[in-house]
Amino acid sequence: MSVGAGRTGRAEMPLPSAPGVARLADLADVAARFAALLDAAGAPVTAERAGWFAAGVGVASPLTVADLYWLARVTLVAERAHIEPFDRVFAQVFGGLVDPADFRGDAPPAPPPARGTSRPPRAGDPTRPRAPGPPGAAVTGGDGDSGDGGSGREVVTAVFSHDERLRHQDFATLSAEELAQLAGLTQRFALAVPTRRSRRKAPAGRGSEIDVRATLRRSRRSGGEPLVTVRRRRRHRPRRLVLLCDISGSMEPYARAYLQLLLSGIDGPRAEAFVFSTRLTRLTRALRGVPPDAALERAGRVAPDWSGGTRIGDALKAFNDGHARRGIARGAVVLVLSDGWDLGDPALLGREMERLRRLAFRIVWVNPRKAAPSYAPLTGGMAAALPHVDAFVSGHTRAAMDEVLDAVAGVRARGT
Amino acid sequence: MTSVADLVPSVGALRAALDDVGYLADEGIATALFCAVRLPQPLLLEGEPGVGKTEAAKALADVLDTPLIRLQCYEGIDAAEALYEWNFPRQMLAIKVAESAGSSVSEEDLFGREYLIGRPLLRAVEHPGPRPAVLLIDEIDRADDEFEAFLLELLGEGSVTIPELGTIRATHTPVVILTSNRTRDLHDALKRRCLYHWIDFPSTERTTAIIRRRVPGATESVASQVAAAVRRLRALDVQKVPGVAEAINWVRALELLGLPVLDEAAVAMTIGSVLKYREDLELALERGSVWVAGPA
Repeated sequence: MSVGAGRTGRAEMPLPSAPGVARLADLADVAARFAALLDAAGAPVTAERAGWFAAGVGVASPLTVADLYWLARVTLVAERAHIEPFDRVFAQVFGGLVDPADFRGDAPPAPPPARGTSRPPRAGDPTRPRAPGPPGAAVTGGDGDSGDGGSGREVVTAVFSHDERLRHQDFATLSAEELAQLAGLTQRFALAVPTRRSRRKAPAGRGSEIDVRATLRRSRRSGGEPLVTVRRRRRHRPRRLVLLCDISGSMEPYARAYLQLLLSGIDGPRAEAFVFSTRLTRLTRALRGVPPDAALERAGRVAPDWSGGTRIGDALKAFNDGHARRGIARGAVVLVLSDGWDLGDPALLGREMERLRRLAFRIVWVNPRKAAPSYAPLTGGMAAALPHVDAFVSGHTRAAMDEVLDAVAGVRARGT
Repeated sequence: MTSVADLVPSVGALRAALDDVGYLADEGIATALFCAVRLPQPLLLEGEPGVGKTEAAKALADVLDTPLIRLQCYEGIDAAEALYEWNFPRQMLAIKVAESAGSSVSEEDLFGREYLIGRPLLRAVEHPGPRPAVLLIDEIDRADDEFEAFLLELLGEGSVTIPELGTIRATHTPVVILTSNRTRDLHDALKRRCLYHWIDFPSTERTTAIIRRRVPGATESVASQVAAAVRRLRALDVQKVPGVAEAINWVRALELLGLPVLDEAAVAMTIGSVLKYREDLELALERGSVWVAGPA
């Protein structure tokens, strides 16, 4: 067997035991144990994959640790998020023999601070470092508030918590009454999304063009004579709805209610849900296809920073870089639920909103504070974001939510 | 008649063979392709745009000396475009001809194989050999999730079902390679049936080697300069991180313009071949053309 050129470092080390396949006599056992370790580390392995690994060792006869690493990674790992735990377990099993970094190419550029990853941290991990807030953030909040002439309560909420509070808050405690109220919105929420023309066509009695194929098919019933022409026209499909929900401390009174709304949106076939405060978390998978109570509970587990401070600009940047650019926001209706009180740089928020504006079909910003008579969008973040928003609504009560739905559907364009 | 096992006896041999057809594989991708061919199991390749996911499948088809059957996915793709469609005009014609000859055709005849238009999946399954075809299902994340479910039979059993004809089992189970840009999460059922490999950006040395391979006229120094510059640009906070494809385009642009080295002036003239957003260009120009060009 020829050994590929270009391997470097410790990875070239031969496997510890004697060469030959026979040494792995109980291969199935080895594979199963390795799989169990991976399971425990958060990278679940199906029995099928363990089988592929064993079969792979049979055909590839790995001679070095590097050979074995790649064989194991290709067969046992199912998605990118599992690569890191896999590396850890592999390093642990072949401790000291191998540094997984040997196998990588260029390290990716260092992520900007507070950039969201969607991997949930393990529950109750006390060793997680607390993210310090930027100095002077409270001053920013105070500045922003000065335009509001706010009540005492508003001043209190303006004092942001600088720590990302990693509490696993149980927000499955919406009262039955609240749930029932909001449930009525579900149907309309799915219907309210505007449509776009699809490239595919559907039969339509008075369609604009003749479907030759279908006409011929139909003519078989009349002995091959095309007596009936079948027509078709372009289909229209609902646009994707992307929900970005602020779950920071200043939004906490509303966040619960909006998450319920977010759930309704998720039921639609083309909806994506993200929550953010100091980081961005994708909730779509956590929320889809489970009953509301369980979904809210699950979302609380997935989003690590429930009721921390807000960094809207960073969260939007993470969204634009990671998801929007890949296509999630393209042609979609983006619904941002936030009060716009941002600990970060307003210029960044403005820039990212502008980027999002170029991708999205429509941006609707829901800000419950807008309902206060004295409110003016003067907080740094809100003022920076507004020029790029198609509709700016309050949505602070059940009645005001109708306004949100209208804005999503584009019934009343409330440009600013 | 060479079998697959003879062509790729080991990971090292596959790597060398890929090298011969112009694809510089690192050990990870070579192992992934080896397992896809020899186990055999479908392989899901993910990575940033421009790291060579599609190229990997093409190179593998070259190595195996079998046809590459490519299915480009898009929103709304369905069975008629991916698997098969009945050739209605031909069926009509057969009926007419039979009528004018005073005979008739039976339904079984009309729904025979000769009236079937084979789309990529069917062609891959029906490939007569001697070696299995390479089926590239490109950008699966663009298709609807119903389409993923539609693929499961092919991925799991290596067979496809046509209601009128029954199940068609592959004599040579195609080597299936799926690629995804991660615009959405794929269904677990699909992932469960696939080997998985994440392709990272190649190191600077490897990028240099790939450039030299793909642009034969490029000198070692230009290739390594461009590779290093692309790496520097990646470290900037750009919207579209330049990949290998961009690096190759950059070298081609330099070659076309007759610029022998990547210096400040050359960067100013050609940076549009790597950075495709105005914001990214501004970001790079803030750091200066000299910084992009790097030490001479």
